Amino acid sequence: MAETLFYLLGAGALACGVGVIAARMPIFSVLSLLGTFFCLSAIYLLSGFQFLAATQLLVYAGAIMVLFLFVIMLLNLGDASGLREQTGFSLVGKRATIAGATALTLALVGILGAGFGKEFRTNPAYVGGIDDLNALATVLFSRYALPFEAASLLLLATMVGVITLAKRQRASLPSPDAQLLAQKKEEAAA
Amino acid sequence: MNVPTEHIYALAALLFAIGALGFLLRRNVIIVLASIELMLNAANLTFLGASRHWTQAQFASDSASILSGPIFSLFVILVAAAEAAVGLALIIALYRLKQTVALDAVAELKG
Repeated sequence: MAETLFYLLGAGALACGVGVIAARMPIFSVLSLLGTFFCLSAIYLLSGFQFLAATQLLVYAGAIMVLFLFVIMLLNLGDASGLREQTGFSLVGKRATIAGATALTLALVGILGAGFGKEFRTNPAYVGGIDDLNALATVLFSRYALPFEAASLLLLATMVGVITLAKRQRASLPSPDAQLLAQKKEEAAA
Repeated sequence: MNVPTEHIYALAALLFAIGALGFLLRRNVIIVLASIELMLNAANLTFLGASRHWTQAQFASDSASILSGPIFSLFVILVAAAEAAVGLALIIALYRLKQTVALDAVAELKG
């Protein structure tokens, strides 16, 4: 049962992966990517990584995908002529949608199957999952405390960088040096 | 689930190959970013497959070595989130500058 589910989910992940790079419109590409994330999350769950499966759904499907879709909607990329290589819904786009829907169904079946499966509950190695939250937290805050703090710095730097990048440029005032240069030029011309 | 670890590795390798292909072949910045996410996910799957393998083999005795896989994939997810945020901000800046997100339109640095 669990093995069959793994191969089904793997095939779904691969199909959605092909959909990501074959889709004509970026929105279908991103939706296919969502399907891949769902399939991989179900595979993590089947393998006994409950926390990672939840994190995958929350961070990837919840946050990163929303960011992608937000940018696509914000820039109105679906209608940008420079972007869309074909008018109307392409065949590939339809295929990507179908693949995404299939993957979603598979993932739901996988999650249900993993929930009812007894495999990793009876196996002593899997009691409470491999990444039992207690054990994970203990290791994360002792052995990996320094990388954890470094990660927070990375996130801070990312936040500052993103705000700087995405901020609308103010009407650029000439810098003091440029003003001085212009004055000298005027004097020279006079 | 008694799937051999090699099959998990094979799935991860295929996903990574698809991502690399998309990264090299597509000319749309958003799809290129999505391909990068695909490759990061393949790396995650490899970490978790390896962790599961060592757990089953009872090779590693202390929990710290068993849990290296999940913790590394946690960090990969974190880096992927940061990368997606920066990448999408770059796309917004690029779109503001060029009114396009096609990579062919941004070839000033090409020698």
